[in-house]
Amino acid sequence: METSRPVIVMRVPERVNLKQARSFLREVKPLLVADRPQVVFDLSQVKQLDVTGVDMLLHCMAEAAKRDGDVKLAALSPQSAVVLELTRTDRLFEIYETSTDAVRSFSSFMPNVLKQFYPHVHQGADAIAFPSQPAANPAALEDEEAA
Amino acid sequence: MDVRALILIGGRSETPGYERMGGVPFALLDVLGEPVIGRVLKHLERVGVISASVVSEVDPATAPLARGSLRPDLKWTHDEGPQFWRAAEVAFSDLAQTGAELILVVRIGPYAELDYEELIQCHLDRHNRVSSACDSDGNPLDAYVITASRRNDAAFLFRHELREFRDDPIQCKLHGYVNRLENAADFRRLALDAFGGKASFKPIGTEIKPGVWTGEGAHIHKSARVLAPAFLGAHSRVRAMSVLTRGTVVEHHSLIDCGTVIENSSILPQTSIGAALDVAHSVVGLRRIANLRRKVEVEIVDEKLISTVSSAPIRALSSALGLVMYLPRVFARGLISKDSDAQPATLPEAINAHSAALKSTKLEDGAPAQREFSPNLIAARRYGNE
Repeated sequence: METSRPVIVMRVPERVNLKQARSFLREVKPLLVADRPQVVFDLSQVKQLDVTGVDMLLHCMAEAAKRDGDVKLAALSPQSAVVLELTRTDRLFEIYETSTDAVRSFSSFMPNVLKQFYPHVHQGADAIAFPSQPAANPAALEDEEAA
Repeated sequence: MDVRALILIGGRSETPGYERMGGVPFALLDVLGEPVIGRVLKHLERVGVISASVVSEVDPATAPLARGSLRPDLKWTHDEGPQFWRAAEVAFSDLAQTGAELILVVRIGPYAELDYEELIQCHLDRHNRVSSACDSDGNPLDAYVITASRRNDAAFLFRHELREFRDDPIQCKLHGYVNRLENAADFRRLALDAFGGKASFKPIGTEIKPGVWTGEGAHIHKSARVLAPAFLGAHSRVRAMSVLTRGTVVEHHSLIDCGTVIENSSILPQTSIGAALDVAHSVVGLRRIANLRRKVEVEIVDEKLISTVSSAPIRALSSALGLVMYLPRVFARGLISKDSDAQPATLPEAINAHSAALKSTKLEDGAPAQREFSPNLIAARRYGNE
């Protein structure tokens, strides 16, 4: 499945403190207000990431999600990887080894997280065999509890 | 026989982080309530070696050592680079001149629980000038016995950074627990080995429940969970809803803030860990975090994440100043500010509300989000050109 919408790769600056995060956010803003924005942040240059930087990444993700888009992270430097893990934000993003992988992921059907659970699908099978039991359906659960 | 010890801390700088964290050698960092060097000195005392000199590459004042953990009568010298080995040579001469017959040279470096009596006996039996301790595989343990009158042999050894000998040394194979302490992973393993009984030393504190030790004045909030084995050093604090699990060590005067999870990690002395963080497989302290899985050591500059707890007088002054500033500010805010935002009353309202952190950075025009999906749909994602 191919996509015609552009995927934009942005390189995050070396130091992401309050001042840098604000100026970076100003740069990214026009990209995030587009319809279904597809943005990849390359964090390979990041040497210092603080709470403001993490907040900025989350804000970008929230804004992209509002417009049915997505923000993915790629090429995490050790510093950024450690801070994202420390603040428990690594589990909120799709993270790729390289920017190329992240860009490619936008044109693939399944997000990276699902590929590890359905490797046979990723290997080229056309028919997708999802589990018969739905993951969660609040209405069904309520019915079961009532019964 | 007068046997004295010369303890060398450092002396190897193959790579920047070798045998140290944040510039402080592991020998000067606390493990379960006492610094490694303190444990080595206690081990030497047990075999009758009481008098000791210490030569260190780092000033011990720079390390957050446990109070009173080291003997005040220890003679400390600190010198960097090539001067370190020169200082070791001078310290050896001083010990020899003050009447020592045998000098036990121990470099930390590795932490080894060796039978030093056996090493000394091996040296005496073979009438050698220098005897070297090695493990069962023949690897050197950086522990030597040198006859005090053989200063040239000692000088040769120090000038070659304990790597070459003037004559062929006798190698005595010793058995006992050895940890090379080359990196943060080894440092962490030392604590786990002590919990597991592989290393002979015990945590400094009281065992409040099986496998959980606390030092004097340690405080654990009633809603915090501490799972054994764990150690909380003197005057450490664990705040509400925190979880400490899988052999976590929190050294003295450290603070774990609300909701933080510490898993399989060591928190160095006087380290404050911020709220709602997830510290796993790490050694944290000196404003750094060494992640053992990623094998990286990273400096953390943001004090909301990791900071250093200041000394008691500065803390008291800071608290008093904070209180003095806080009360008028709250009073003034109460008089002039508008009503604060109303808290959402129901769960759907709370979910749809903007988070506090993002409220100032709105990109929206102000139009409320329309509910266009069925209430049963939890999440929706689109990919490609549907």
